[in-house]
Amino acid sequence: MNDRPDACDLLEIARHAFTAEILPAVPEPLRYTALMVANAMAIAQRELAAGDSPLREEYRRLAGLLSQNPAAPDGSALRDGVESYNRRLANEIRAGRFDGEKRAAVLEHLRRTTEEKLAISNPKALVPG
Amino acid sequence: MTLDEDSTRRRLAGFVARASSARDAVIVTLERMSGGAVQENWALDVELDGKLRHWVLRTDATATVRESLTRAQEFAVLKVAHAAKVLSPEPLFLCDDPAVTGQLFFIMERLPGVAAGHRITRDAKLVPDGARLARELAANLARLHRITPAHAGLEFLPTMRARDCIAHYRGYLDTLSHPYPALEWGLRWCELNAPQREDTTFIHRDYRTGNYLVDEGRLAGVLDWEFSAFGNPLEDIGWMCARCWRFARPDLTVGGIAGVEDFVPEYEQMSGRRITPGDLQYWQVMAHLRWAIIALQQLERHLSGTQRSLELALTGHLVGQIELEILNLTGAP
Repeated sequence: MNDRPDACDLLEIARHAFTAEILPAVPEPLRYTALMVANAMAIAQRELAAGDSPLREEYRRLAGLLSQNPAAPDGSALRDGVESYNRRLANEIRAGRFDGEKRAAVLEHLRRTTEEKLAISNPKALVPG
Repeated sequence: MTLDEDSTRRRLAGFVARASSARDAVIVTLERMSGGAVQENWALDVELDGKLRHWVLRTDATATVRESLTRAQEFAVLKVAHAAKVLSPEPLFLCDDPAVTGQLFFIMERLPGVAAGHRITRDAKLVPDGARLARELAANLARLHRITPAHAGLEFLPTMRARDCIAHYRGYLDTLSHPYPALEWGLRWCELNAPQREDTTFIHRDYRTGNYLVDEGRLAGVLDWEFSAFGNPLEDIGWMCARCWRFARPDLTVGGIAGVEDFVPEYEQMSGRRITPGDLQYWQVMAHLRWAIIALQQLERHLSGTQRSLELALTGHLVGQIELEILNLTGAP
């Protein structure tokens, strides 16, 4: 096991030092890049903090929509499983298999998945208005 | 060979003198302008037989996007648009001799004004009357949409109507290793709700805040014609009204400068075309799908190693926002 603090804590404190101490001194032409650096660090930190629980939730919902066993695998099999279910879902949406009675269920799933992505990518986008 | 080299500048001055039939051309200024990841714009001031001219030299950047026109095609498009009284820079000279600068380029008139979207949508001094600017944009767009196929000189333009767009975007998604179910949902919605009949006109395909110049509060001209095509004129309306071009004013539907009521009636009157709320919804969905595809193309440049870049990498994290907008627009029970 690596020494503490962990990756998440390191990113948080590094980002804090960057935004509090370096960003104010960054000259105007580099400000946009500096803000992008801070944003990228924030996204990475939120992704690490969330762990694999959003992926497990997504797996469970996808399995339900595609009538598969909802027990999620562990480790890299989880990511592969979500990827492969998403591929099937994409194909079935395109083929029109979610036009009818399963429309509301797929919409609910897509909305939840998008909101979970945004909680990591850009939480501000989740605030209405 | 770059435009910063003295030898390139000497060849450029020679080209300008020949192209304009001047006795003497002296390059006073040649400076890279901001913006333009796909094309480079250089501010070019030339003394032509003693008279100072303010021009823009437009040339390919190193990173090219697969879907854009060549500089020669863009020059031809600008000629047609300018002749149709669409507010746009007048195209002056096309250079297809790579010996001059190493790349194809053309020279056009340099219009005055500000294009930056975050300034136009924030600074009331730049746009004191957003409704008037929206009406000018609408009337200008109606003039542009009066150009119809087949048009002499524009034979190279592709035709992109609603179903062509859907097929094209699906084709691109099929090249990716990662699936996008929410975008597939939007595309399926567009397929199910596709218009029965469509007008086909010349369309700009990037007519939006950030791509036009505002000078003293008025529309001075429309820039960046490299995505133009023939297609449904309503696509340009949907693009102008998409959330991504509202910058500092997400509450103002038309490019962050005005509401729909300041834009659509003027367009309807000038074009004789009617736009229903359903049309607007449909083409806003299509606009977001196209924006998502462009974001994914930019992300792919980073992921593939073609152009490793923080900005392109973060573009990948915009996709969720675009998907949420698509779900909001299409998710009514």
